[in-house]
Amino acid sequence: MRRTTKAGVAVLAGAMLVLAGCSDDGGGSGGSNGGGEGGSTDLVLAGWSLSTTPEFQVLVDGFTEQNPEVSISVLEYDAANYDTQLTADLAAGSAPDLYPLKTVTTLPTYQEGGQLVDVSDVASELSGDILGVDAYAVDGATYAIPYRQDAWFLYYNVDLFEQAGVEIPDGTWTWDDYVAASMALQEGLAGTEAKATYQHGWTSLVTGFANAQAGSDEEFLAADWEYMVPFYERAMELQEAGAQESYGTVTTNSLTYQGQFGTQKVAMMPMGSWYVATLLAQQESGDADTFGWSFAPMPQLDDSTLDAPITQGNPTAIGINAAIDEDKLDAAKEFLAYIGSEEAASELAAIGIMPAYTTEAVAEVMFGLEGVPTDDVARTAFSSQQPVPEAPVNSGTPPLQTILDDAHSEIMTGNISPAEGIAAAIARAQDEVLG
Amino acid sequence: MSATTIERPRAPGRRLRRRRALVGWTFILPNFLGFATFTLVPVLILMYLGFTSWNAFGAAEFTGLENYQRLLADSTFHTALLNTLYYAVFHIPLTLGAALGLAVLLNQKLRGVAFFRTVAFFPYITSIVAIAVVWNMLFSPEAGPVNQFLEAIGIANPPGWTTSTDWAMPAIILVSIWRDMGYYMLLFLAGLQAIPSELYEAARIDGANAWQRFRNVTMPGLRPTTFFVTVMLTIGSFKVFDLILVMTNGGPGTATLVLSQYIYDTGFVERDFGYASTVAIVLFLICIGVTVLQFLVNKRRDR
Repeated sequence: MRRTTKAGVAVLAGAMLVLAGCSDDGGGSGGSNGGGEGGSTDLVLAGWSLSTTPEFQVLVDGFTEQNPEVSISVLEYDAANYDTQLTADLAAGSAPDLYPLKTVTTLPTYQEGGQLVDVSDVASELSGDILGVDAYAVDGATYAIPYRQDAWFLYYNVDLFEQAGVEIPDGTWTWDDYVAASMALQEGLAGTEAKATYQHGWTSLVTGFANAQAGSDEEFLAADWEYMVPFYERAMELQEAGAQESYGTVTTNSLTYQGQFGTQKVAMMPMGSWYVATLLAQQESGDADTFGWSFAPMPQLDDSTLDAPITQGNPTAIGINAAIDEDKLDAAKEFLAYIGSEEAASELAAIGIMPAYTTEAVAEVMFGLEGVPTDDVARTAFSSQQPVPEAPVNSGTPPLQTILDDAHSEIMTGNISPAEGIAAAIARAQDEVLG
Repeated sequence: MSATTIERPRAPGRRLRRRRALVGWTFILPNFLGFATFTLVPVLILMYLGFTSWNAFGAAEFTGLENYQRLLADSTFHTALLNTLYYAVFHIPLTLGAALGLAVLLNQKLRGVAFFRTVAFFPYITSIVAIAVVWNMLFSPEAGPVNQFLEAIGIANPPGWTTSTDWAMPAIILVSIWRDMGYYMLLFLAGLQAIPSELYEAARIDGANAWQRFRNVTMPGLRPTTFFVTVMLTIGSFKVFDLILVMTNGGPGTATLVLSQYIYDTGFVERDFGYASTVAIVLFLICIGVTVLQFLVNKRRDR
């Protein structure tokens, strides 16, 4: 009798322990809210780093002001693991109703996985001034609506250019002009701690411009990457001349681009349009020095593209979860129509984000912000540059990108020459991915 | 309680035995349920996924041995496998030696021995990301203290460490020895203190010198510990991931790409979970194969 009691107690204790272990609330993956009472609709939108990425709340606030019957809550994901966490939630059926595609290159994964609603009807109503919608079209159907379109600029420090006695970028630079200016800056800045230019460690700093200006989707996907060689040779030339910090130093010392440009360690820096808002905020908070700066269009291959300079830049879009409740779908589509509107674009521009919708009116808002450079060259960079995604939006891209990442670190550390490094990457792609 | 203590030492009856087994099972049940939910079931699913093509959405498509055929011809997999072996072959014996040396040294009655033990253990409890970032700076080819020191003692062309395809792996091995030796030192210390001091006294009376005492008293006394440490080190070496990911991210090129990172890249970056599972199974088989081998060798020595 006693023995049985003891065994019973043990089983009970065990079960309680297990339950205690399991009852731990998952936290992050909030369930979907049922359609509310009184005709109101509750939607959930995925986001990341909400404290430093105000754009989601800005879009939600702007929309719910016009549509008080809809409420949208933003569910925060970890920025670095956004796609992994979102994939897990989608596969488990607990993902938000609306989710941003953090990078355009992930579209094929979600679209081919059947996780996105066809929103062609929303897209067809959009104004022609919105950039990047085509990137989200597969076989004639559109699967997400872009609200943001980043583009890469050439940022420069006016004070350091003056100090070195070099002409500031006039918006007509080719890559040869860029190299020549870098060398002149390096000479002019000799004896100071500043370097001519800064190339961050990311692979896209070289391959993204090469793809946008010299390559094509077909060449990229067939691994015909010879067009990247001159871009690597230029980077190595600047690095070997000491005009830019070496890749080894950038990676081993974990240099930040904000620190390099913001504390005047470099006179120029190619970087995305998001850096405008960051730099303004850091100058305000004192994390960055106060100095004269502006931005210019990226250098071009030759002068044939100076009127509409080609740069790299990814759109960011929001799509609808294919598992959304039928009765919420209309509200979700209305939200997408809103984020593609001029109104939403102005709201985004007002917090320093480059919206996908680009009109003069939106540009006015952006350049009306305090501290944003207003010279004509910066205006041209903002309005005339043609941003192209850093790599083709295709399900074949990720494995090729891994190979290029490996080649990038090997070439930039000087372990292999640009020509040999690219040749080896091509061989590897043929062997492992395309063969 | 009393029922247990007055138990007579005869073979227990069938009912009693079953009841005892039940109690035993009950005690491991909570742990086993956790293990089954979070380890066993995922591993079994992984075994199946290794035979499929799956991108995390929808049903996995069964592809038979296709993934394994791909594995045989995949030169990056071969690179990752060789790099993992390279790491293991140096990391295991060197860490073992360093940990044992430290343990013997810090097992003596020295002034401040507790302080030195703590110092040696410190790297192990430090965040691996912090370790990687700091060592990366120390190894920085142009301005890093390591190379400045090497230049100061007259080495004209110090290696590029993590920026060199030849030196990146040695740099990582050095850091991981430094990180791991404190933990294994602790295990050896525990082992050393379990060796009865009479054995040393007897050896001394027999005229054994320090080396002979180490060979014939310490080493045999540490056999079980050494075996445990070797097994743990081996498994740890084959699974190495975080330190390399933060220090070199597998680079430059694929110079420090190891199997775990290859699995991660294939699965989470390229979204090829089927093939990633295949590589994971191979890594699992390697780990289990080497461990079984070590057990067999150990068993033979026991006889």
